Amino acid sequence: MTTTERHPTRGAKAAAKQVSPSTAPKKRKRISTAEKKRRRAGWLMITPSVIHVGLWTLIPVIATFYLSFTDYGIFAAPKWIWFDNYVEMFNDAVFMQSIGNTIWYTFWTVPVSMAVAVVVAVLLNQGLKLQKFYRTAFFLPQVTATVAIAMVWLWIFNPQYGLLNAMLETIGLPGQAWLVDPKWALPAVILVGAWQGIGIKMLIYIAALQNIDESLYEAASLDGASSIRKFFSITVPMLKPATFFVFIISIIGAFQVFDQIYVLTDGGPANATTMMTYEVYRSAFQEFRMGMASAQSVVLFAFLLFVTLISRRVTKEED
Amino acid sequence: MTLPTIKALAISEEITVVPRKRWFHHAKGRQAALINVALTLGSITMLVPFLWMVLTSLKSPAELAQFPPTFFPQEWMFSNYAATLDAAPFGLYFRNSFVIATTHTFITVVLGSMAGYALARIYFKGREAIFLAFIAMLMIPTYTKIVPQFLLVKFMPLFGGNDILGQGGSGWLDTWWALIIPGGLSASAIFLFRQFYLSLPKDLEEAARIDGLGEFRIFSQIYTPLIKPAIATVGLLTFQESWNNFLWPLLVTTSSDLRVIQVGLAVFQQLDNTQWQYLMAGTTMATVPMVVLFIFAQKYFIQGFTNAGIK
Repeated sequence: MTTTERHPTRGAKAAAKQVSPSTAPKKRKRISTAEKKRRRAGWLMITPSVIHVGLWTLIPVIATFYLSFTDYGIFAAPKWIWFDNYVEMFNDAVFMQSIGNTIWYTFWTVPVSMAVAVVVAVLLNQGLKLQKFYRTAFFLPQVTATVAIAMVWLWIFNPQYGLLNAMLETIGLPGQAWLVDPKWALPAVILVGAWQGIGIKMLIYIAALQNIDESLYEAASLDGASSIRKFFSITVPMLKPATFFVFIISIIGAFQVFDQIYVLTDGGPANATTMMTYEVYRSAFQEFRMGMASAQSVVLFAFLLFVTLISRRVTKEED
Repeated sequence: MTLPTIKALAISEEITVVPRKRWFHHAKGRQAALINVALTLGSITMLVPFLWMVLTSLKSPAELAQFPPTFFPQEWMFSNYAATLDAAPFGLYFRNSFVIATTHTFITVVLGSMAGYALARIYFKGREAIFLAFIAMLMIPTYTKIVPQFLLVKFMPLFGGNDILGQGGSGWLDTWWALIIPGGLSASAIFLFRQFYLSLPKDLEEAARIDGLGEFRIFSQIYTPLIKPAIATVGLLTFQESWNNFLWPLLVTTSSDLRVIQVGLAVFQQLDNTQWQYLMAGTTMATVPMVVLFIFAQKYFIQGFTNAGIK
């Protein structure tokens, strides 16, 4: 993930980078009592965290992989069944549909909210009086609970009394039975996802924009470049690293959509909005098939790993 | 993808900036007016659902049955809130969420800062390995852990009627333990703390050591006071994440006494013929604390993407 750290050696320039050890060890041979005490203190400080992360993250990850090869229903001991879960999963129309839905959801929410976010970030970077208010407005959906937000959208999408249909009818468009119509349920969920996802992307873009050297714009202005030209020739290329980063975290986030599905549609109608995460939930906590749920979550993990590795490759080649 | 995780990743990817005090190229005149119009329309789109939530919570059932809906309530029904608290124990849910979020924040700040300090400023054998392991754990999606985490809770030995092998009872299911312990600390918080401690100068500790201070005192009395803004950042993010969490409390609790507000909303909504004015009142109660917290502590939420305040 980060820059790999070289083992600190004596005389190495520590703290040259942010991610570098700040204290180099003394000579290898004799360690003073004071140094021993320090190391013991270090161990004491980190032990609770190591135990916690080990118990609640490391062991579960290993267990997930193990359980994915078993048939396990909580009450009897896990039975080793090799790849049966995986075979069954890929022959299961509903799970395949959930993969399709997840990809479709990601395909729409990520680029749309990224495009909006970059435009908003650029506009916010113009030194307006109200920019703090705008920034707050765009970021608000990000800090409030997805469950609560989904409740509000459930009401907005209400086919009989909902705000959305009322607004559509005002401009002469027909209202829809949003969340109950298989044709419209996924687009409705996508709309909520895109709407909620703008804030964080905007924030990262703002940070990146403030890092662009102003003199580039000044030089372009001297050459008589228009604002649009400056945006495409300076801003967009300079935002490349940030864009990659936003792209990856957005995909990882989008693949893990769950809360709004649970509230808005329960995966329906006719599995039109079920997602990989929702299938994991269903297998584990409605059918009590822990092995199958683990296998499904391994597939989800594989997708995300694949995305991350591919994008790393691309970034490396860019450099 | 939670905010702390995104922040930690942003820092590890070195997408950090030192923000300038001033914004550059000021838009003027007509251009500024156009931008303001565009951003105002955008902001309205972002805020309308929140506004709609509050307005709905103040309408009467008769008014909610009108189409097209009225925008402002004809009669402001503030009594809806009292009725909501009677319809479901939202006060209790609210308290549970608050207790859990506060405890998570406390555990994360205490243990996370200690771990971050040790990783940043003390050299000991195995430090690099532990650090890399934490980074790897940062990348693990929730759903790749959730099933075994649930099983760990269920088979927790010697709790909830379980024997030493974790058989025979319900373990930590439906107890405070399950709500508090697993979510009490995260690799991303540790990573963020480490990063903040790394940014501090070394000569302070050297001076302190000459004065004969022990490591715990150097940590608690010299370095930690210097990263107060960072503590606020990690603390607020932890609180927010914990308050908004839904799936975990949904899985490990069934009784109404332990229900958190997000799960309370979902349960309330699943009851037949939803009373929208009450549901929206409950949703407002679940949302307002985060909105207020964010508006007043925006600086800290946003820090970490921008490294401000720790330089």
